[in-house]
Formats: sequence, structure tokens, C-alpha cells
Amino acid sequence: MTLTEEISLFLQRGSVSKVKEKVELALSQGVSPTEILEHGLVGGMTVIGDKFKENEVFVPEVLLSARAMSAGIELLRPYLIKEGKKSKGTIVIGTVRGDLHEIGKRIVKIMMEGKGLTVIDLGTDVLPETFLQKAQEYHADVICCSSLLTTTMMEIKKVVEKRNKEGLQEKIKIMIGGAPITQEFCDKIGADYYTEDASSAADVALKICTENRNG
Amino acid sequence: MTNRERAMNILHYKSVDRMPAVHFGYWCELLLEWAEQGKISMDLAKSWGDGNDADAELDKIIGWDFNWYRCRGARNGLSPSFETKILEILPDGTQRVQNSLGLIERIKPGIASIPSEDGYLLTDRKAFEELYLPKMQYFEERVKGLFDNFNETRPKDVPVGLHLGSVLGEVRNMLSVAGMSELMYDEDEDLLADIIDAYAEMQYKCAEAVLKTGAKFDFAHYWEDICFKNGPLLSPVKFEELCAKHYKKRNDLCKQYGIDIISLDCDGVTEKLLPTWFENGVNTMFPIEIGVWGDQFEPARKKFGKEMRGVGAMDKTALRKDKSAVDKELERIQRLVDLGGFIPCPDHRLMPGSKFELVQYYAEEVKKIKV
Repeated sequence: MTLTEEISLFLQRGSVSKVKEKVELALSQGVSPTEILEHGLVGGMTVIGDKFKENEVFVPEVLLSARAMSAGIELLRPYLIKEGKKSKGTIVIGTVRGDLHEIGKRIVKIMMEGKGLTVIDLGTDVLPETFLQKAQEYHADVICCSSLLTTTMMEIKKVVEKRNKEGLQEKIKIMIGGAPITQEFCDKIGADYYTEDASSAADVALKICTENRNG
Repeated sequence: MTNRERAMNILHYKSVDRMPAVHFGYWCELLLEWAEQGKISMDLAKSWGDGNDADAELDKIIGWDFNWYRCRGARNGLSPSFETKILEILPDGTQRVQNSLGLIERIKPGIASIPSEDGYLLTDRKAFEELYLPKMQYFEERVKGLFDNFNETRPKDVPVGLHLGSVLGEVRNMLSVAGMSELMYDEDEDLLADIIDAYAEMQYKCAEAVLKTGAKFDFAHYWEDICFKNGPLLSPVKFEELCAKHYKKRNDLCKQYGIDIISLDCDGVTEKLLPTWFENGVNTMFPIEIGVWGDQFEPARKKFGKEMRGVGAMDKTALRKDKSAVDKELERIQRLVDLGGFIPCPDHRLMPGSKFELVQYYAEEVKKIKV
């Protein structure tokens, strides 16, 4: 088994100490930071994402793998910066105004980071104008809105309206998700993408960013 | 026939004269909305609670027969509870609050959504043994005085349940989902199980003490809420390992005292956890959130047969639409009623935007459903 395969495996098991140990070992043996990131950390998180989608692993395992991934990325960060490694895309994510639900958004964020995307987390109870302002500030490819309540889901429509009013439909796509959200609702309010689960959300976000960056 | 007889007969596959109109309460914001529209008084809106006088008054106004969530139980939480205190106020007004379970939450004044979880006291064995274990002990005052003259004074015309607490849901509330996840894979690998065991043992003793008073109940009931849109919050295998024995012990106790309907409240898509519940004595699911989350009753009935009963599964979102949406929903639930052992009930608290007249209409029409 290669070192990156080991990193992937330990990440899937959620072992922070082992991931750190193997990342350090790989760096000391001259494995490229990009290789460690792509095949070790991102590779491991992709497996976890797929298993989560198929109900083979559950929220606790995802959260622990995410913790291991963060620990690995922290070690790699200075090397990646030095290497000039570019992000695959930028996502601005938040739970809409009036809604303080956190965990679903957090899992989506984890899955997106697991795809090598940069995710700016605006937290909960986010105003429609803040989504737009931050998306422009960070040159985001996608705004990702989460709503867990039937009472707050219409806030997403306001984000879509603000984006459209600014004429940013082509530049910034809007993805939506959360318990009460459906494809029908997505179509009705004019959002761009709806996905049923966190893993699919990450796949779609990566696709949007790749298409965006390939022009 | 009383509504108590109607409900219990249906859950025992016996005949009834008609379907009772059953509900599961309201979001407070809806009642305020109705008060502002002049449909009900503001006093009533502000004083409503499950099974209280205002609930009964609203039942009369709307036409409901009763609220399923009419349960009585021991003082079976942490005792004494933690002091609720504000730890910090952030620049945007958000309060970091330690709640009565020792969970640290972020609360934004003016926002009705549940708070964000921001930390927890139950981080390790030391915290468990020093802070929590003393609060998880059984003592007489947990039951004392609560069930004096219960059989004489309890409502006779509606079913009343014994609240059994929960096996995992309340422990999850002490820890948050993130905290539960951490402890599940902690180096101290028995810690989460030890916490669950201690809390469950206290709740068992509470249930036993209540039943020993001679109080008679129509059913027993758990609250869990450990599933979400895509299924359970933890692996069904882990859930079985950690929780199955506690359900069995508590449910066997209920059966010894003649309680044969054991219902369990769990939001979200419950399918993957049903085997643990049903193989260990739970036999009635509630509220079967079909509308927002897509939970289902029929597949579970096919899998578990008549031992699987249900209360709920009426898509409450129809009550925000129009009569034709409600009629369509009544047609759909007729198929579930035809299976037997099923009482329709809105699949969670009625939410803001639900139309008063439509709710009245549903409450009236559901009584006419063919049984």
C-alpha cells in the first residue's frame, strides 16, 4: 500500500493522529503535497462521501473523517501555498436568515472541501445581501443556501432575486438544499441546482466550478 | 364510543364507529398568526401547550378530538438540571447560553429556529462522573406526588400515555450531534455506552415507580428524534448495540403492567432504525413525517406486518394550500386507514401559514373517513 493510500484509509477511519503521522512521513519522503492532497486526503473523503450517500457510513463517521482531513490539510497548507496550488473553485455557503440550523450545512461544507473546493462558511441566519456581498468579495463560483425550516425556505428566493437583480446569473450559480427543499421548489424560485444529499451537492459544486474555470 | 375507545380499538384492529380527529399541536407562531387574524384569542395562543386547558379549548374551536401528545411521566430528566446561564453576548446580539442539559448554544433573540450548538460540558469520563452521573440517579422525588389520584382525575374520554423518556435522544441533546459523534469514537470507547446505560437505568426506574403507583395508561411513549432527511443520525448497527437492550427492558416492563401499545416519536426518515425498535417492543410509529421529510408507513407495514401501527402520516403542508389539496390528502390516507392499526394525524406541529378554516375542514372531514 502506498503512503497516500494509507492516508486515505486512515482518513476514512477518522484517525487524526495517523493521518498526521502519514502526511508528515509522506512529505519527508518527498511525495508532492498535491499528490498527498489529491490521492490521500481528497481521495479518502470522496470514499466517505460516496459511502454516506449510500447509507454505508453516517454523520458521526463523516464528522470524524472531516476532522482528520482538516488536520492533514493544516500540515500541507504551507507546502501547497509554496507550490502555488490553486483551488478548484470557491463556494460561499450559509443557512438563510431566520434559521440557525448548522449540522446539515456543515456536512455539505465538509464534502465540498473533500473535493478540493474552497468553502467560505458564512454561518447561520445569513442575510440575502450578505450572500451576494461575500460571493463577490471572494469571487465565488457558487452560493450555497441551506434552509431547514418551512418558515425560512422562502428566504432563498430573496437570494436568487438579489443575484438576478445584479445580473450575476452567469457568473454565480445558486445551489439549494435542506429538509423542506425539493426540485420543484428550486425550479419555482429560479435557483440553479438542488441536490438531495451532501455528497451529491459536492459533486455538482465541483462540476459547476470546473465548467466555470474551463470557460 | 369515547375517543379513547376509538383510538385504542383502531390500534388493536377492532371496529369503531368513526375515526377520531387527532392532531400533534402547533408551532407557536401559527397560533399567534391565527390570533392576529382574529380566529382565536391572543390569550389562548399564548397559553397553549400539549394537553393543557388551552389545548382542549382549541380542540373545541377547531373540531379536533384530541392531541396524541397527551402523556404523563416522572421527572425523568437530569436532576437537578444545570443552571441556564448566558455565557457571552456577541456583537450581533447572539447569546452563548449554557442550557439546562449542559449544552452550549447560540441563541439569536427574535429568531424562532432551534439554537445552534456551540459546545458541551459532557466531554470526557471525568465530566460524566462528576457533573452528570449525580444528576442521573433515581430518587423518590422523581415520582412522588405526581400520580396521586391519577386514575380518578385523568381524562376518561381520551387516551393518555406514560412518557418513558428516551434512550438516545436526550443523551444526544446533552452532547449535540457533533459531541455524540466524538464520544462514539472516543479513546475511552465505553464512555458513550456508559452514559446511555446510566441515563436509561434511571428512566427505567422512573417508569417502574410510576407503574407501581397503580396509575393506568392507554399507551406508553418515547421521544427520540434521531433521524433526518436521509435516514438515521448514526449507524443502525451502533444504534442497536447501544440502545436495543434498553428499549426491551422498558417495554417488557410496560407489558407486565398491561400496556401493549408503545409508540415512539422520531422525526425524519426512520426506516433503518425500525428493526431495533420493533424487535424490542415498540409497535407504533409517530408522527411519520411524510410531507417534509418523505417518511413512509406502507413499506414498514409490509415489512413488519400488523405489529407495525402508526399515528401520523398526514402531510400537514396540505393545510397551507386549499381544499382540493386536503381532499387529495384525505384520499391518500384512506388507503393507510384501510390497512388497519393506523390513525391519521398531521405529520408534525402545524406550521405558520396553515389556514384556520382548512384545519377546521380537515378535522371535520377526517371524522368521515371510512373505517
